[in-house]
Amino acid sequence: MNALWIARNTFREATRDRVMAGVLVAGLVLLAATQIMSPLALGEGVRLTVDLGLSGISLLGVLVVVMVGTSLVSKEIERRTIFNLLSRPIARPEYLLGKWIGLTGALWVVAAALGFALWLLLALRGQGAHGPSICEATYLAGLELSVISACAVLFSSLSTPILSALYTLGLIAVGQWSYDLRQFALHVPQPLGTLLSVTANVVPNFPLFNMRTLAAAGETTTLPHLAMATAYAVLYGGCVLSLAAAAFESRDFK
Amino acid sequence: MQSMSVVPASRPVPDRASGVQSDPAGLAVCARGLAKSYRNPWTLKVSRGLAPLDLEIERGQVLGLLGPNGAGKTTTLKLLTGLLKPTAGQAWLMGQPIESPESRRSLGFLPEQPYFYEYLSGLEYLEMAAGLCGIPGRDAGERARIWMHRVGLGERPALRLRKYSKGMLQRLGLAAALLHDPELIILDEPMSGLDPIGRRDVRDLILEQRDRGATVLFSSHILPDVEMLCDRVAIVLEGRLERVANVRDLLQEGRHSVEVHCSGVTMIEIPPAWGGQVTRRAVGDESTFVVEQEHLLNDVLAWLLRAGARVRSVAPQRSTLEELFLSAADARGERRSA
Repeated sequence: MNALWIARNTFREATRDRVMAGVLVAGLVLLAATQIMSPLALGEGVRLTVDLGLSGISLLGVLVVVMVGTSLVSKEIERRTIFNLLSRPIARPEYLLGKWIGLTGALWVVAAALGFALWLLLALRGQGAHGPSICEATYLAGLELSVISACAVLFSSLSTPILSALYTLGLIAVGQWSYDLRQFALHVPQPLGTLLSVTANVVPNFPLFNMRTLAAAGETTTLPHLAMATAYAVLYGGCVLSLAAAAFESRDFK
Repeated sequence: MQSMSVVPASRPVPDRASGVQSDPAGLAVCARGLAKSYRNPWTLKVSRGLAPLDLEIERGQVLGLLGPNGAGKTTTLKLLTGLLKPTAGQAWLMGQPIESPESRRSLGFLPEQPYFYEYLSGLEYLEMAAGLCGIPGRDAGERARIWMHRVGLGERPALRLRKYSKGMLQRLGLAAALLHDPELIILDEPMSGLDPIGRRDVRDLILEQRDRGATVLFSSHILPDVEMLCDRVAIVLEGRLERVANVRDLLQEGRHSVEVHCSGVTMIEIPPAWGGQVTRRAVGDESTFVVEQEHLLNDVLAWLLRAGARVRSVAPQRSTLEELFLSAADARGERRSA
């Protein structure tokens, strides 16, 4: 219950931040820009709109995480607002969970709003049949952002906002290339190959959440894929938050 | 009634030491050897934040924590409220070990110079504070509205906190600490930076809580307020609990003198037999005789009346808490230099 009060407050913080409004406006501008570029796409205007629209959801979501999420906990420590929370009957893991739920909730709102705007745009162009694929792709983008926000909470609870942002961006970059990294590890000598292989398995498997190509073609994914992505996000996010809670438990707030 | 003890002999000596330690369950605050030190991660050098502290506070008492800046007052309060992790020792709040969040169930805490979420309104902040103390949703809103009015902020409940003045923020912090009727209230410098009216309001709130039966532990630099509010005081110097005492006992054991104000005795000479124990300050026709020993008072009054003095007032004087605090600080300094 306490985690939900923290989540509510974090959601308010994120949604009342100018970054959130800026991101939504940027997303709408991006969608409008796709309509200007569509005639230049040689008949692939819909594909371009869907691809750029879905990429925009992920990129703008990452922007929110970097701008808001990576300072989520460290800012509270720096500004000492955390004193008012942790001196109440709330366990530290509950506090972190609440922060993550609040931020993730805000990210889902951004993803859902931009996904809906994308579908509306396509419907206006007579391509409303893309609805299911956009819905699935938006759902997977939401899962991806949930995992990223868990990582941001971990880094934010241990480090400064700038370092947290760098760590989070680094993890996203490596995670996006985790398939290629795994393949590359097979072709390099040991022990570097093992190291790369372990790294590829430890970082988040972000390609699992990417179905932009399918959606651009108007195709949907399979139920097992959606189930696996959901289970992966829950497990990975849970592990990261558990790690954050363990590290946060012994912190002093001077 | 057992109130507070500080043991053992190697540690600061209390006013009333007892060999028997009380059951933490019956006390509002109980600390046994609670200590904090910090290790520099680069040099590995250890610096002391708080020497092992033994402290017991009975339920319903008001204890003032005194000490100069950097003495360890805030460290003590943060250890008790779970914001710092002790490096040694144990402590209990209302019978619950401080490691458990349940120890903070009946706690109201106001940190020093509290900071708040600027994007929230006062009402939203208090709603959240109530919710985090376990008050369910609708009741939390109702309780928040009541306390907004009680601390004089009810006129503009939707005003964002970024527009609050320092005094308003302090009152909001107090409301957040008190709105769930806590049994134990810990306030870190609650009167810091407040104007006289704000200080009076805070004093009144603390007195109200004391009358309600709550235990109050607060740190302050404003010694007259401590003297007025506290049953007992604890003096912390250089990370060590130097002394714990009943305020009344502390003041009674200090210097006692009596001032006799009179007129019409400009030419009178103080008898040499009282050498140094009776002194005189004169301004025009008015004289003030300071009698250092109370047992001389009757003799001094008789002597003044015989000399034709018109006695206007006889006022007993006592040491202030400030004088006693400064003498404790000086004694500590002397011990250290020795």
